Amino acid sequence: MTAFLARQRWWLGRVAVLPVHLLGFALAVFFLVRLIPGDPVLTLLGGQNATPETIEAARESLGLSGSMLDQLGAYFANVLTLDFGRSMITGQPVWETMTTRLFETLELAVVAMFGTTVLTLAVGFLVVMKPRNPVSRVLLAYTRSAGAVPDFVLGVAGIFLFYRLLGVAPAPLGRYDPTLLPPPDLTGFPILDAMLSGDTALLQSMASHLFMPLMVLVLAYTPLLLKLLVRALDDAVDAAPTRFRIASGGSRRAVLLSVARRAAPPAVAMLGTLFGYLLGGAVVVEQLFSMPGMGQFGVNAVNTSDLVSLQGFLLLVAALSLVVFLLVDIVTMLLDPRRRPGRGGEGAA
Amino acid sequence: MTTTPHHPDPSAATTSPGVETVDVEPIAVVAEVESAPHTRRVPPGSWRLAPALALVALAVVGPWLVPHSATEVVASPAIAPGGDHWFGTDSSGLDVFSRVLAATRNDIVIAIAVTVVSTVTGIFGGLLIGMNESRAGLVGWAARISARVLDLVQSVPAVVVALTLVAFFGTSLWSMSIALAAILAPNQARLVRTEVLQVRTEAYLDAARMSGQTELGLTVRHVLPNSSWPALENATVVFGAAILLTSTLGFLGVGLQPPTPEWGSMISTGASDAAVGRWWSALFPAAAIVVAVAAVAMAGQLLFGRRR
Repeated sequence: MTAFLARQRWWLGRVAVLPVHLLGFALAVFFLVRLIPGDPVLTLLGGQNATPETIEAARESLGLSGSMLDQLGAYFANVLTLDFGRSMITGQPVWETMTTRLFETLELAVVAMFGTTVLTLAVGFLVVMKPRNPVSRVLLAYTRSAGAVPDFVLGVAGIFLFYRLLGVAPAPLGRYDPTLLPPPDLTGFPILDAMLSGDTALLQSMASHLFMPLMVLVLAYTPLLLKLLVRALDDAVDAAPTRFRIASGGSRRAVLLSVARRAAPPAVAMLGTLFGYLLGGAVVVEQLFSMPGMGQFGVNAVNTSDLVSLQGFLLLVAALSLVVFLLVDIVTMLLDPRRRPGRGGEGAA
Repeated sequence: MTTTPHHPDPSAATTSPGVETVDVEPIAVVAEVESAPHTRRVPPGSWRLAPALALVALAVVGPWLVPHSATEVVASPAIAPGGDHWFGTDSSGLDVFSRVLAATRNDIVIAIAVTVVSTVTGIFGGLLIGMNESRAGLVGWAARISARVLDLVQSVPAVVVALTLVAFFGTSLWSMSIALAAILAPNQARLVRTEVLQVRTEAYLDAARMSGQTELGLTVRHVLPNSSWPALENATVVFGAAILLTSTLGFLGVGLQPPTPEWGSMISTGASDAAVGRWWSALFPAAAIVVAVAAVAMAGQLLFGRRR
């Protein structure tokens, strides 16, 4: 049993520090709110009218009353029990509102991530295998300009071209035709729910409404991933293990497999960052296409100076990102044992 | 001595052991060879700096060149480009050309401030963390924890953090610059820290220590110049990221508030115009963003690009 634990330590240890990281972030948010000059609630509310009761309730859920130590205790008690208070504007409990919206945004990000990965692998293969092909030259040039065309520019261009000029895309208003009934709440993921309920009309409407936002995300973020994949592949191709395999007469397949295996860990590590980008991109896309979700929730909270919702938003997105980074870390350590802790030397991160 | 300064022949020096200055001479010769092709000329590809320089020039003089006021209604809304209004007017009658030009200063000032602040603090922080990481006691612990924190901060989407920071601390030019610098500095620090850990193993640091250099003097004299290049190299990327973040916040309606001219917020008002067929109020600020980011990326590639 102890031998088993010792062998599994590399990932058990990584999982065990996650709560520490989460608490660290919660602590950072706690002090961030206290950095706001003056009384945070009043400063943010500014001229907007709020009843004294809502202000008091907001102070309560932010833990802004009592001594600093009391505040910290109350705050952590709230966070640990997932009690993020009630929105200062709508009075809705923040946690419940966020979790329903989280699934909608997560679905968008995950589908976009899938598309980005597939496109990156396809284009990356072409660019590395046939570097002199004119198509791959054009693609490489686009990759070099990675990120120069921001997601919202692509989105506005897409709406103008496909909705206004060509008329092939539906109006950028929501995930599906507003005349249709929403899918039953089975899993919380809208597309999955529509599939499970077998509502083909709804599914069709979703496909046409979500095509453009997803394309925007995929096209905006593929260059970033592609740039890193091409770099990782180049490094792997131009390394001693490759020359060793060629020199010792390995088959083309064996050489390529070795290259792919050595390029995989940095590329997988990039997926974590990509997910972060896509969450940020989802904020923009949701705003542009009027889709409900976490992004819209966050932007609304900023616009209405809803400090309680904003704090919950930051905590939830941070927690989500940390979990994704944990998964990415474990997968890279799985692919490349040199990255596991306690194994110093070359390749140890 | 037969070797002439301009046509050195190292073999002549080494094959004549009778000459008394033989073990000094080769060094002087090598120095001579390295400084020989020292002719002043413009490095190839310098034209690639031009767009970035033009951009900065526009940021300086742009607000004085505008034909119309950039913050006031100057004509009837939704005039198509041409004539008096080169880029047309937007849905509230503001001149798009003047606003795109005037916005250059706002976006570029934020980007420059963010680049400078985040690079300087990043270098300083990376140096501090990297040099103290292997120390025992509280300082060492603090450095090791900070190093982990730098890694973790990367995981949270920049747009989300930026959104919250501007909500908390306001959307003035300076609070936005500081908020964005705070977001982009950790990566700079991370790059420097990695390099510091590398440089710390170099033999010349031991040599400096043995010659009586203090730890602080050593850090400033040797570690700083040898380990800050990754952050300097990354500065053009930070610049581009700052422009994109500023305009993204503007687009989301939480950045610089209208009527202050800013490319992102112009696109956000232009988006509804584009949906009804008036393409110009979104196209020109969008083009400005793309051109600005590409110009800086091009300059960065010229200055630091060694690989794709």
